[in-house]
Amino acid sequence: MRSRVRWFVAVGLLALVVGMIGGVPQAQTQAFKVCSDIAWPPFEWVDARGQFVGFDLDVMRIVALLKGYRIDIQNLAFDSIIPAVVAGQCDIGASGFTITEERKRVVDFSDPYWESNQAVLVHAASGLNIITAFKAGQIIGAQRGTTGADWVEQNVIKQGINVTLRLYETYPLAEQDLINRRIHAVVEDEPAAKVAVKTSRGALKIAGMINTEELFGFLVRKGDPNRLLPRINDGMKEMKRKGIWNNLIEAYFGVDVNLDRVAQCYADLKGWLDRNQPEAYAENLAACMSGQTYRRP
Amino acid sequence: MQRLEKLELIWQSLPLLGEGVLVTMTLTISLLGVGLLLGIPVALGQAYGPRPVRLLMSSYERFFRAMPILVLLIVCFYGLGFWGIYVPAFGTAVVVFGLHSSAYQSQIFRGAIQAIKEGQLLAARALGMSRLQAIRYIVLPQALRLSLPGWSNEYSGVLKDTSFVFAIGVTELTRQGWQIAMRTREIFLVFITVAVIYLILTYLGTWLLERIERRLSVPGLAGQRREEHGRVI
Repeated sequence: MRSRVRWFVAVGLLALVVGMIGGVPQAQTQAFKVCSDIAWPPFEWVDARGQFVGFDLDVMRIVALLKGYRIDIQNLAFDSIIPAVVAGQCDIGASGFTITEERKRVVDFSDPYWESNQAVLVHAASGLNIITAFKAGQIIGAQRGTTGADWVEQNVIKQGINVTLRLYETYPLAEQDLINRRIHAVVEDEPAAKVAVKTSRGALKIAGMINTEELFGFLVRKGDPNRLLPRINDGMKEMKRKGIWNNLIEAYFGVDVNLDRVAQCYADLKGWLDRNQPEAYAENLAACMSGQTYRRP
Repeated sequence: MQRLEKLELIWQSLPLLGEGVLVTMTLTISLLGVGLLLGIPVALGQAYGPRPVRLLMSSYERFFRAMPILVLLIVCFYGLGFWGIYVPAFGTAVVVFGLHSSAYQSQIFRGAIQAIKEGQLLAARALGMSRLQAIRYIVLPQALRLSLPGWSNEYSGVLKDTSFVFAIGVTELTRQGWQIAMRTREIFLVFITVAVIYLILTYLGTWLLERIERRLSVPGLAGQRREEHGRVI
């Protein structure tokens, strides 16, 4: 009898210890924590091998290499990232954030690294164009906390047009609902919309573009306590000077690119980053992603 | 052909989903452990403690039962960061879920403790045991057995609640599925697979607890399953 009670307690204690050990490794890292919602190709997504890939993340990795610091990439829900940066749980937010006045009040942004416009996605069989997509009574989808959602709010609903804005956890879910025809249109950034059209196998099309001319930036805690912004800005300039930047754009946004190749390409080529040769990495990644021959480290 | 492709997709996703299962199970077992260690004293305090202790334990239990788990997680993880206290996400999850579960577990134990007839305690005292000894050797061994069915219910409940931890950046089973679904756009297929995995985990856990329950069963103890010639009577 006695031993059984002890056994009960022992299991409890063991479980507690397992829990604590599980928590320790994260506490020991000295690197800067980069937080991203890794579910938005081609800027950041998790590939078939479970690797974190995408344009934003590669920029972060290469800047860190050039400027001599380490990063630790953390996958976090999009609308949790700014609160996490404000609370100091993340050092850098890198998730295709548009620089807005509202966000600038709580965080500081790097120099812009991407200019984006909003695309209006509709079902290919719906016959809607960019005007009829926003007719009264229509349902428009967007991801919660994004500038796409904000645009619909400001420029359609506040103008007195009676549409319903439906907010989703991520854009791929909004696209799925559009494919299922439960909503009429989705407003999202152009590169991601193009990926959606490609993967939908003809179900979706882009009805038109809205020239919002938004600029993306990396964000850090207000006041930049770790002096990260000068390093990020400088690192991005160096990437452009060395031709790394253009190769990364080619790799993720090029016309012949097949994003499914990334699992193989990244696994084969990340050795270049480990050897501190970002130029070779970007050049070969661009080749590999568009199906050309490439050189492994 | 297309069907084959889909089967292949599930097959290829299994290692990633397996990583998710590992995180989900480590978290579930750890939080149940924390809840067990805290839940028993809370239940004992509520059942046998003097009035101030009873009051304290009751307010602890009411507080944690009233708090939505997601709110607690966010307050503890981001809130503490605000005060300059940085806690690892997984550790925070274990503690927060553990406290939350301890409140529920305490009620399972309290119910079981109160199911033990008062007369047994009196009899033990009459035999010369102290009050603590009586609780330790007479009440607890029976009460813990009686609480096993309720405990197995708690297991299947918290197992699914653990998917909330993604709010603080811990990637468990649901989130792994989420990531695969976002990449492949096979939302239905991936989440059906995730659902089947949860079903298996729940089934295995409750099966194991049922076996433990049967192993530890004492003939004549109220609420115990009795078997005769292999038939449950």
